[in-house]
Amino acid sequence: MPVQTWSAPLLASLRRTIGLLFGSPLNATLTLAFGAMLTVALPPMLRWLVLDAVLFNPDPAACRAASGACWSFIYAKSGQLLFGIYPVEERWRPALVCLMILALLGWSVRPASWTLRLLRLWIGALALIAWLMGGGLGLGEVPTSAWGGLPVTLILTVVAIGIAFPAGILLALGRRSTMPAVRIAAVIAIESVRGLPLLSILFVASIMLPLFLPEALLPDKFVRALVALTIFAAAYLAEVVRGGLQAIPKGQYEAAAALGLPFWRTQYLVILPQAIRVVIPALANTIIVMIKNTSLVLVVGLFDLISSGKAALADPAWPSPAAETFLFIGAIFFALSFSFARFADFLERRGPAAR
Amino acid sequence: MLSDARTRSIVIQCALVAAVIGTATLLVNTTFANLQTRGIPIGFDFLTTPSRIVISEAILSYKSRDPYYWAIVVGLANTVFISALVIVFSSVLGLIVGVTRLSSNPLAAGTCRVWVEIARNSPPIVLLIFLYSLWWKVLPPVGEALNPIPGVFASMRGVMVPSVHIDMETAGVALIFLAGLLLLVARTAGALRRFRSRLSWAAAAVLLLGLWVADAGFWTDWPVFAGSNFQGGLELTPELSTILIGLTLYTTGFIAEIVRGGVLSVGPGQWDAGRSVGLSRTQILRLIVIPQMLRVIVPPLNSQYINVVKNSTLAIAVGYPDFLAVMNTIISKSSHSIEGVFIILGVYLALNLTLSSAANWYNRRIAIVER
Repeated sequence: MPVQTWSAPLLASLRRTIGLLFGSPLNATLTLAFGAMLTVALPPMLRWLVLDAVLFNPDPAACRAASGACWSFIYAKSGQLLFGIYPVEERWRPALVCLMILALLGWSVRPASWTLRLLRLWIGALALIAWLMGGGLGLGEVPTSAWGGLPVTLILTVVAIGIAFPAGILLALGRRSTMPAVRIAAVIAIESVRGLPLLSILFVASIMLPLFLPEALLPDKFVRALVALTIFAAAYLAEVVRGGLQAIPKGQYEAAAALGLPFWRTQYLVILPQAIRVVIPALANTIIVMIKNTSLVLVVGLFDLISSGKAALADPAWPSPAAETFLFIGAIFFALSFSFARFADFLERRGPAAR
Repeated sequence: MLSDARTRSIVIQCALVAAVIGTATLLVNTTFANLQTRGIPIGFDFLTTPSRIVISEAILSYKSRDPYYWAIVVGLANTVFISALVIVFSSVLGLIVGVTRLSSNPLAAGTCRVWVEIARNSPPIVLLIFLYSLWWKVLPPVGEALNPIPGVFASMRGVMVPSVHIDMETAGVALIFLAGLLLLVARTAGALRRFRSRLSWAAAAVLLLGLWVADAGFWTDWPVFAGSNFQGGLELTPELSTILIGLTLYTTGFIAEIVRGGVLSVGPGQWDAGRSVGLSRTQILRLIVIPQMLRVIVPPLNSQYINVVKNSTLAIAVGYPDFLAVMNTIISKSSHSIEGVFIILGVYLALNLTLSSAANWYNRRIAIVER
């Protein structure tokens, strides 16, 4: 029997890795091709990102002199990048709002906290957020036109999904209704929204609402974008929920009918809890799409992360490091979406146990 | 009375219809009142008047004295052009990346996985703006243009590619000839059936090659660097190139996942079964695996293609005049916002319906027919 040393498992795994990299002609070719690609691409990238970059030196001249990335710009401008044109001395308010939303999101994704209490918690939190952002009652007033950056992205995502979710459930139930008028109305609403790019819905909301509504009722740009995002999300969530409803066996409806439950109680107590559990991964995907979609509000002139990045870049004192800024903004979106995606995977894996 | 299910259903439906009609009437009335107070005329007559708007680049030829309807067609052509190219490129790349992700090679699978994760978790608009901001930083000036493939040059001013020209008469003659050939082949006996598609493709290729060699009505124009700029070829501006590259990278991430799911959905038992009846690897792939895979991937692929058409509206972020950008200019210039919005809605619905009915037709052809 060969003597076991500490290095044996290490050698074995090394041998396995080499086998995977060069074991067959195909794998060897792949390794060489991808290895060549990475050796060409990675060193210059690394030099630009870290080695030649200006990291913390808050001096624009250092950036002009360096051949690498100018991260000190992000560092120096982080307040403006994250909070846009929100009054500087009041930035603690949007910062607190962001922390609150992120903490609540983190809390909400635990399946153990999915109760009615969570709903009340969110409603209370949203009221608090509206007060913190908008002001009044002791705080200085800040109009929505001065909101900007990350809180805009987060609030739009959370509120749009919060309203769109119940609306989507109603639309999905409407689409499966036995009443033809209800069914046709739901189908037209869902399919016409799903057939359009979100950008066109945002344009329609910003162009048409001023014509549709009397001047007194006209909401500001922020609310108009929120309405467009909500309508869009509701149509997509409706289709996800419909998928869940279709997965519920007929026996469940019959059992509820046998108990004498009326329609809404059947839905609320028996059907929806099961239907939504089936489609949790798809719901998480839709939420990721919504997080990414909020980036589009920049096109209708709202100060989200991208527009506050563009505004920061306009400072003539700095050498306008656009690539770094958009990389930073992309990284924020990536962190939000990627953590949600991992959460969806986690729910998918524990799926059977959830039933 | 409301306890009777039929009565209740009628009451609910009447209430819904009344609410819809009521809201619609209210909106239409307010709209007309608003239009009247602002003195905005309504109607589609403006479409034939000269637009005088600027479209910075276009696939079809456009001058600012052309009428509005032509500006709309030009914008639509740009959208269709972007979408078609992105769909083709990302399908090919998505197939490669999706299959490579399943490879046992950790280096190849890992690189492809990073690509997929970045594409799926970043907003496409941020990706486009980021790539656009890189353009002048990464690419050399025109004089030192990169030449990665013969005939393709990349520089700060954009990408030059060989262009293909065909004059209308030749195209007409060629089409009629091809149609006749297809008809002829399609009517020939069953023994020829298996060859017919290959045969007609070959005939088409020979025909085009013949026209090209004879230099009659069909020719290619290669970009050549002369003096201070390129002559000939087709110029893809930095804006257009950014959209094509960005949307392709983005869509590829999604298509790769669909392909991966499709490959995984065909169980290893199918390969065993194929081998047990003595089929070769390519035969198993062509006769057993790919047909089953197509069934799984065609519906989600279709929705990705529709997403490409929708995402092409992001062209506005880098200033490329796609259909929506042109419509936005037209609306602000002509103040015919209601007509403009109807055109926007109609065109996107028509585009998506065309795409999805084509895919549905294909899907019906390949779907399993049960019972």
